[in-house]
Amino acid sequence: MRSLIPVLVLSLWCLAGPSPAAAQEGHPLKGSWLGTWAGNTSHDPDIVLVLNWDGKAITGTINPGTDNIAIKNATLNPDGWVVHFEADAKDKSGRALTYTVDGKIENLHIPNRSVTGTWKNQRESGVFRMTRQ
Amino acid sequence: MRSAVPLVAALVGLLLTAIPVKAHHEILAKFDDNKRVMLSGVVTLVDWRNPHVHVFMNVREGNSQAANWAIELESPIDLQQSGWTRESLQPGDPITVQGIAARDGSRQLWRNSIVLTATGRQVLTFSPKTPAMPLSARPVPRWPDRQPRLGSLPGGTEGYWAFPTATALVENGVNVAMDVYGLLRNVSDAAKVAPLQPWALALYVERQRRLLRDDPMFLNCKPPGGPRQFQLPYGVQFVEDRDRQRVFVLIGSGNNNFRIIYTDGRGHVGQIGGDDDNPLYYGRSVAKWEGDTFVADTRGFNEDFWFTNGGLPHTEQLRLIERFTRTDFDTLKYEVTIEDAGAYTRPWSSTATLRWVAGEEMPRHLCQDNRP
Repeated sequence: MRSLIPVLVLSLWCLAGPSPAAAQEGHPLKGSWLGTWAGNTSHDPDIVLVLNWDGKAITGTINPGTDNIAIKNATLNPDGWVVHFEADAKDKSGRALTYTVDGKIENLHIPNRSVTGTWKNQRESGVFRMTRQ
Repeated sequence: MRSAVPLVAALVGLLLTAIPVKAHHEILAKFDDNKRVMLSGVVTLVDWRNPHVHVFMNVREGNSQAANWAIELESPIDLQQSGWTRESLQPGDPITVQGIAARDGSRQLWRNSIVLTATGRQVLTFSPKTPAMPLSARPVPRWPDRQPRLGSLPGGTEGYWAFPTATALVENGVNVAMDVYGLLRNVSDAAKVAPLQPWALALYVERQRRLLRDDPMFLNCKPPGGPRQFQLPYGVQFVEDRDRQRVFVLIGSGNNNFRIIYTDGRGHVGQIGGDDDNPLYYGRSVAKWEGDTFVADTRGFNEDFWFTNGGLPHTEQLRLIERFTRTDFDTLKYEVTIEDAGAYTRPWSSTATLRWVAGEEMPRHLCQDNRP
């Protein structure tokens, strides 16, 4: 029976089909994003971000409900749609880490646009990617 | 001499530099007005369907096998209003078409003219006309309590508001050239259109550079919330339900939706967060009369649509103050003030007038039928 579980999960996944991103015609960063910071050993490489725009500042949280890492110093330079943000976190042993993410919006015109770039903290670095859901 | 008639007609057609004037989406997003083409061939099919009628024709070049071309025309509504019927062309009719070719190189053409090859008679004359104004202005129709009527007279002729003087928002006092879809003739004018924040200006420019092809009303049939409902080709109707203290705005374009403007004195508190009966494409509108002007205050919009032709961005902070004044029987002045600290650096206003189309039911055009 247990061997059927992956088949069932796969079948349900196929039946569900792709989930279209909710339209977002306002600020390009606003919304929920799924992504990865590849190679990160301090945090799960799969991440969720929720970003907001209040008219003056971009705010948001990485992994809301679990890690609850607040982002800070977030900017969007519309000249090239360059994204930057930072986040203070703690690794599994409780040591402080500061993340810096730099990227660029791709496919600006579609709701499930992406941001790709790099991430780094004091110990590691890698490729960053997130896609709006 | 008779053999020269088709040639002359074709040449006249080529001299015409008609740019598409009315359709459900920006024609230049699909067709390139720098790629002018003339085709002669035989009609194989007339596909009389929304959103655009297509005429298919076989075109033979030299001794090669005939190639089938799709000629795209306006909507059935627009063509019927111009006197065209689905019988205006029949399979087997030889025609000469001149128009602009598809950007993707496919065998598609947006027509500028269609001429019957045998007779030289032009069969397509599309000419949307604003209804003529009466020689003397007719008085504003009023309810017994002297309040102006926004809609039809009970028992009188039907009618609706259409033919807006502006089909895209531009700040009052600004003069920039754009087409009926809000596509700027010169994208460097973008910063003049409205006091946009830097990100919003860049997004607006991006949409303009992409020739508005990402318009969610066209792609996904998203409702035309905000001022856009008054900018579209098939007009609006006001239904004043005085018993229930609300005004319904019926929208002839987009997804044929309606908007409710409450006049029962309710406030906005508790209504702007979004809920099942508040999809927020039209926000929540409350209104009152100030003299002869109907003033609606609307908030609680989502960010899933374009609130004006041309693609000016907005955010959930958007608040609209709309002022409707029926200045005479046939004229409705629409003034809107846009407050959106999420996308603009200050409040700004735009004004247009609409014309009363008397004696007609509002056309119904469904964007659910849209196809690229």
